[in-house]
Amino acid sequence: MEAGIGTLTRLGEERVDAVLVVVEPTPKSIEVGQRAAELARDKQLGRLIIVASRVRNDADMDTITRAFPDQEIVPIPDDPAIVEADRKGVAPLDLAPDSPAVTALCQLARSLLPVPA
Amino acid sequence: MRLAFVGKGGVGKSAIAGTFCRVLARQGHPVLAIDSDPLPGLAYSLGLAISDAPLPDEAVEERAEGEDGPRYRLRTGLTAGDAVDRYAVTAPDGVRFLQFGKHRSQTGRGLFRSQFAFRQITRELPEDRWNIIGDLPGGTRQPFTGWGNFARTILIVVEPTAKSLLTARRLSRLALDEEHPRRVLAVANKVREDGDVEMVADRTGLEVIGIVPWDEALAEAEQKMAAPIDMAPDSPAVKAVESLVEQLSEERIA
Amino acid sequence: MRVAVVGKGGSGKTTTSAVVARTLARHGASVVALDCDSNPNLGLSLGVGDFETERLESMRESLDEGGEEHAPGWDDLIERFGSDAPDGVRLAVVSRIDNPSPG
Repeated sequence: MEAGIGTLTRLGEERVDAVLVVVEPTPKSIEVGQRAAELARDKQLGRLIIVASRVRNDADMDTITRAFPDQEIVPIPDDPAIVEADRKGVAPLDLAPDSPAVTALCQLARSLLPVPA
Repeated sequence: MRLAFVGKGGVGKSAIAGTFCRVLARQGHPVLAIDSDPLPGLAYSLGLAISDAPLPDEAVEERAEGEDGPRYRLRTGLTAGDAVDRYAVTAPDGVRFLQFGKHRSQTGRGLFRSQFAFRQITRELPEDRWNIIGDLPGGTRQPFTGWGNFARTILIVVEPTAKSLLTARRLSRLALDEEHPRRVLAVANKVREDGDVEMVADRTGLEVIGIVPWDEALAEAEQKMAAPIDMAPDSPAVKAVESLVEQLSEERIA
Repeated sequence: MRVAVVGKGGSGKTTTSAVVARTLARHGASVVALDCDSNPNLGLSLGVGDFETERLESMRESLDEGGEEHAPGWDDLIERFGSDAPDGVRLAVVSRIDNPSPG
């Protein structure tokens, strides 16, 4: 089963506050992402955000925008620091807190925080 | 050969498996490529433009009540070899391809029938004539004990990252099963630095039988939904897979 | 607040989950990170290390095989079968059998 879709289907009636669908600019990743997004929309699971991962250039961004029209898309740039963290098995946040991808992810996280009344 | 490629999602297993099948077929061997992943990875890497290849209903019959055995089987008179000859999709270089059956394209009942027949084929296809190369999904125990049983050799595709190594250790535990003795080996993919291969060997405890270097050509082929062997036949990755085929053929361990 | 992160294996969902979890925690949220993946690697991206990540994974496997008593409730799962990650994030590897339930 594609990672996460099984869990999404089990969520049933409950709302989540946000569903982050992580998609790379590759055909397979986009296909899985589209299925997940459709499921999330059908179940009205809450705010849906497409996280465009490993974006290298405008062409990559276009690929994702075309696949997910009218969706909120947050680009995360392709970043050697993440590759490095993966190789070493350490947290990207610890290894390279100021790198472009980590910074973009932190921003995304902050955008999920409830706005003070 | 009775071989299955396994690995964590994204490691590049379908590209390697597909290329392996094409290389083996070019050497004149009959190859059946099989896949249970609902995403069309192996098909594209073989050079096929399709995303599904289940057995049709007409190939499968229901077992009569009172008879022993699985609920569905190949139609009487249809041998495993016949079923492949007649129904498997033909890819370039004569590779034959069968897919386990995607969940979406069939009704529940239809899927069931095709899956039983698929398993029967993997069990009954004559060993002295057909090589079976499978692409197994990366996650759970089920494929290893289910249709993946055909495989005498499991090749775990690993890249030199902590996550991939962790998954490889896990898959190796799942694959090693006293009931079905198998050889479990590693293929190191996306190798960049000196020490990567040693790291894979050390951290998985497996013998590394193939080394595929980091190669843009594989990623590009995937983007274009094409076979690496067609798009970049002289690329280092394709050459590495050719060595792997040679290695396994010589050792006669697959 | 509940956030679900989904995506094809290898796309970056584990990295995304980990950074989001720890960032939310740094902003004062009390965060539980649940790894529902069939190849549970979230521990590595959170920074708990190889050994601990593997330990949690084996615990999940023995849960699945009936070797361990199943956690009766959500809180119990997190308490008994979870691990402490940096920034106060609590990590638990979720068995396929457990269903996420409200609370």
